[in-house]
Amino acid sequence: MVTIFVLLILPLITTALAAGYRQARLSYWLTLLAGVTHLLASLYCLITPFNPFPAGWWLGVDRLGAFFLTILSHTFVLVVLYSPGFLRRMQGPEYDRSRRLFYPALNFYLLANTLVLIVQQYALLWVVLELTTFSLVPLMYFYRTKESLEAVWKYLFLVSLGLIFLFVGILFLSLSARGVVDYTGFLVGRMTEVAPQLNPLWLKAGFIFALVGLSAKIGLAPMHPGDIDATSNSPAPVAALMAGSMRSTAMLVLLRFYQVMAPTQERMFAQRLLICAGLFSLSVVAIYMWRSRNYKRMLAYSSVEHLGIVALGVGVGGIALLGALLHLVFNSFGKIGLFFMAGNIHQSYGSREIDSIKGLTRRLPWTGFVWAVAFLLIVGTPPFGIFFSEVFILMGMIHGDHWWLLALFLSLLMVIFIGMSRSVLRMLQTPEATPQAATGTVERFNLSHALGLYAALVSIPLMLFRPPALVDALNAILASLGTTL
Amino acid sequence: MINAFTILFCLTLIYLAVTTRLSAYVLILVLQGMLVAGVHTLAFFNDFAWSHVVVAAGVLLVRTFLIPFYIVKIIRDLDLRHGDSTRQYHPGFLIQMAAVVVGAFVLSNYLSQLTPVNVVPLGAAIAGMAAGGLLIVRRSLLLAHVIGFLIIENGLFLLSIGVQAEMPWMIELAGFLDLFVLIFLMGIAMNHLKTHFPEGESDDLTGLRE
Repeated sequence: MVTIFVLLILPLITTALAAGYRQARLSYWLTLLAGVTHLLASLYCLITPFNPFPAGWWLGVDRLGAFFLTILSHTFVLVVLYSPGFLRRMQGPEYDRSRRLFYPALNFYLLANTLVLIVQQYALLWVVLELTTFSLVPLMYFYRTKESLEAVWKYLFLVSLGLIFLFVGILFLSLSARGVVDYTGFLVGRMTEVAPQLNPLWLKAGFIFALVGLSAKIGLAPMHPGDIDATSNSPAPVAALMAGSMRSTAMLVLLRFYQVMAPTQERMFAQRLLICAGLFSLSVVAIYMWRSRNYKRMLAYSSVEHLGIVALGVGVGGIALLGALLHLVFNSFGKIGLFFMAGNIHQSYGSREIDSIKGLTRRLPWTGFVWAVAFLLIVGTPPFGIFFSEVFILMGMIHGDHWWLLALFLSLLMVIFIGMSRSVLRMLQTPEATPQAATGTVERFNLSHALGLYAALVSIPLMLFRPPALVDALNAILASLGTTL
Repeated sequence: MINAFTILFCLTLIYLAVTTRLSAYVLILVLQGMLVAGVHTLAFFNDFAWSHVVVAAGVLLVRTFLIPFYIVKIIRDLDLRHGDSTRQYHPGFLIQMAAVVVGAFVLSNYLSQLTPVNVVPLGAAIAGMAAGGLLIVRRSLLLAHVIGFLIIENGLFLLSIGVQAEMPWMIELAGFLDLFVLIFLMGIAMNHLKTHFPEGESDDLTGLRE
């Protein structure tokens, strides 16, 4: 009961209180309380394992859901801790309404995402996924500029169109179960049990529509443009939230479909589709990473790249699936660090153009340092976590004799790495015409740097020490996706 | 009777291709709302349950009343009666729409050989979804995109009847609520867009391109 209260009722209460009281300080503490307790409850459900809901309900927390709940609440807590500093900088009267809406929308975001992660009924999943879009709109429109409005419109429209495809996928999934289960049994657990009896044609059709529809929300090519515009035009904490948790939440919905495919003969079909989606996303990023002139867009494309890698890992299967799950976590860590620092850079330079950012290490030494460390994580440098997750994915390709895929994957990663390094190094090393240090303002180490550094570094002890509880949880998750190592 | 309603639904799609007035688009939405509510009621007539009545009432309330009224309000607030360069009758659009409807029924007939489905409602559903997409592609006015989206949603509702996929009524109602909130948010966004892009056309939304 306490877990249900913490996961669902507390975010609802804090949303209402933050909306009602409108005191930034109180709202902050309430939001932090909701986030920290949510994180503890998620970890508890992941490690024990514990499902606070009765079996067979429309709501339930399985290991897979608990894993994604932990990613959500971890990202959320870091974003909440970063938020007061960000809001202090946004003091103009033009931001009054946005500031008032910030904490209620943040709490509602937590609630909506939690619902997606614990709903076990496929049709209800579609309804609550739309709620996550609604919760993001006021956050994305924080700056109230022409660009942010355009980004909101495109995101709202493209994602909603994508969700129509998802609904068609759900209808086809229900069609595949005709004569096997009725709509009362349209639950993840029940559908997985009866999966071998499902009609293969409609099952495949359902997966295709779900993949296409969810691509808009996950950020997989070719449905990624709305997500790129939204992430790059949102304030730093919101962009971190989207890149660190929203995409993972949408990925879980795709995995719910994959769970049904996994015990059937159609598993190979789903895997091939995921490999194609992953490779296509990487190819698109390999082109756009070189063309991008805006560092927040560059980070948004990096998210497309990493979710593409996750899709590829799931598609390859075996140990690559483990790599894909870890990759989701480490991508979340890296994006938090990078977007937080991107917020600091934007604040100091007043520009998102890469060419306008010069002498970063001199003007903002701490931001530049954390930016560089988070960059090393995100490109997969050892000993950071992404290096290990990518090695697992490569091992999966070798075990599966996917040599052509291995070659293509490494080539695309190299092109993307060079493209991203070019921009990041230019920002760090190009000397400034009139150094800011000469004017006497020197950046001090602050909470945003501590949070960014923590997010960038935490993957190292996680991979070095591999907590047994986490290993157990990952093994259980892999088993639920039809894989044993 | 279900077939008659769904064929009428297809006729509204043809009307969509020949009309150039925003008020006619709203009328089409109202008609389609009534038709899909009627199809839903008739589809479950032999298997009466109060939940079916509630869903049909929800369709009528949201799709024929709340959303069309809200769209009329947007048209008035934004003064969208004039100035849309793409609102011209074009025979090519009519030919495309007719092809979409015919193609949808051919596809539906093919699918009926694979699995038991209601051919006519399924054909109308596919036609509705494709026609909404076509409207979004052919028209550049943002409000026309919203209407195209709603026509796709109407097609989607018919699709669940066409493939005889019964959903719990609470989920159907939650879906209507989602739809209304979505249209409400789109309306607010359009109101704000008007201050930056007075024409209200998708061609203006180019500020974020690389």
